[in-house]
Amino acid sequence: MNQRTWKRELNYSLFIAPALLFYVLFSVYPFLSMFYYSVTDYTVRKITNLSFVGLDNYKHLFGSDLLRTGLKNSILYAVLMTVFQTSLGLVLAVFLDRKLATRNLLRSVFFMPAVFSPLIVGFLWGYLMSTSDYGLINQGLEALGLGKINFLGDKDIALYSIVFTQLWQWTGWAMVIFLANLQSIPKDLYEAADIDGASGWKQFWRVTLPLMQPSVNVVAVTAMIGGLKVFDIILALTDGGPGNATQTIMTAYIKTSFNEGFYNRGAAFGVVFFGIVMAITLIMMRYLSKWGEKIR
Amino acid sequence: MTTRPYSAKRRLRRYPWILEAILILLAAVVFVPVYYLIVTTFKSPEEAALHPLSLPAGLDFGNYAAAWEAMVYPRVLANTAIVTIASVIGIVVFSAMAAYGLARRSHTLHRAIFYLFLAGLMVPFQMGLVSLYKLINALGLMDSLLAVIFVNIGSGCTIAIFLFHSFIQSSVPLELEESAFMDGCSVPKTFWLIAFPLLKPVIATVAIVSTLNVWNDFMNPLLFLQSREHNVILLEVFRNIGQFSVDWTSLFPMLMLGVAPLMAFYLFMQKYMIKGVAAGALKG
Repeated sequence: MNQRTWKRELNYSLFIAPALLFYVLFSVYPFLSMFYYSVTDYTVRKITNLSFVGLDNYKHLFGSDLLRTGLKNSILYAVLMTVFQTSLGLVLAVFLDRKLATRNLLRSVFFMPAVFSPLIVGFLWGYLMSTSDYGLINQGLEALGLGKINFLGDKDIALYSIVFTQLWQWTGWAMVIFLANLQSIPKDLYEAADIDGASGWKQFWRVTLPLMQPSVNVVAVTAMIGGLKVFDIILALTDGGPGNATQTIMTAYIKTSFNEGFYNRGAAFGVVFFGIVMAITLIMMRYLSKWGEKIR
Repeated sequence: MTTRPYSAKRRLRRYPWILEAILILLAAVVFVPVYYLIVTTFKSPEEAALHPLSLPAGLDFGNYAAAWEAMVYPRVLANTAIVTIASVIGIVVFSAMAAYGLARRSHTLHRAIFYLFLAGLMVPFQMGLVSLYKLINALGLMDSLLAVIFVNIGSGCTIAIFLFHSFIQSSVPLELEESAFMDGCSVPKTFWLIAFPLLKPVIATVAIVSTLNVWNDFMNPLLFLQSREHNVILLEVFRNIGQFSVDWTSLFPMLMLGVAPLMAFYLFMQKYMIKGVAAGALKG
């Protein structure tokens, strides 16, 4: 190898270096070190001379109401978000793909909540769903002669109320991605289907949906991973309450690690969380690609 | 031949009035919270409780002035802008460079590094927050905007590299670069003069998606910024909302000031933003 080619190779490597450095230092290394901390006695009271404690921290997970509830809620939340964001977004996109006079305006209205910060959306909906005199939704319910609903204070419905606010925020985002996919479907496919006399429904199932597979994959997987990591909106709406009714993986992790100081238990929880995210994502991708093969 | 006019007629015949009416109604309902947020900023608690959806009796900007001062808005806006601009530039430049290096070289090591970046799309790196906190402390970056910027670049570059990489492989012709090399152009020069300008569409996509993510990120500032001089907008909103008062409508201008910059950005750039978000999700 002469000097010039060698220099060229070095240059390419130097190009990769900055991104790799930031990524490894601030994402990969902290993540990997959690595997180590999860088997030590690292807490706020013992930050040096860590000793090995085996699987104690993992055993603790199963006995902890906070962590179990967080896990259960995050999975429920993520599944609900995935199912409804995908289906509602798809319906909106199919309707707004038609030549309506107001469709551009409608699209921008539906998408708008997606540019807001979930934290502020949370505070806003906290006021809207409040049971005090000014809570807009409960005012409406009372005007209709119905009773007040304690959307965020009732442990049986608080999580669903949160899901509702997030569907308000993110369905338009899914719609935009579906619309981009819809616009890439050649129009003559529909003309051919028309000539064959296929009904609107049949065209949707036979022509549209199979070709929508790329965007359905993206929206479903993103909603699932994002749902499992949900944090800001919970903090703003309920802070995990009432009781532990709306704790999620991230709120429980932060509470255990930063508020209670059990870094080791937080780490073990993180490792379990990682396993769950990987398992769910892989199962989903496999299922989605099987679906893709079947309808092709 | 005879079916064609029939089908054209069938498509023309029915304009979906009912569908459009239903969608307009739905959009109006979806818009109510935003409308409520805006009108409530001008109301007193009594007025807002009695006539929640009516237009305000008067346009009193006193609430805004108070919120502006309580949040020290110019400072938090500047901090948020610094964090966002620096993070987005870092993500765009470093990711484009890395994606270029990885797309133009295919040794096993390069492929391994590419998959390491790809893994970041799935792995929940937030779980490393405890170690990250320790690391930021050890680097002496605690309570500095740089901490948030660095962490944003570290997490934002994965999706960006993915987008740049697939674009370079599909749409940046190697021939141009080869002839540049023949003329004695160095790798950095070739990249900046020939490849980088061709990346414009992806740069726009990456910049838009990263701006939304970074501007709206709350967890990193919450963990790494403590003093008020270094607060970003969301931290200041969070701090003030915590002090719940009887005068609850005075908090609405703060929420409004919190979403206003991105809302303005959206109103002027919505076409590009919607395109960018869709492209960021689908290309690749």
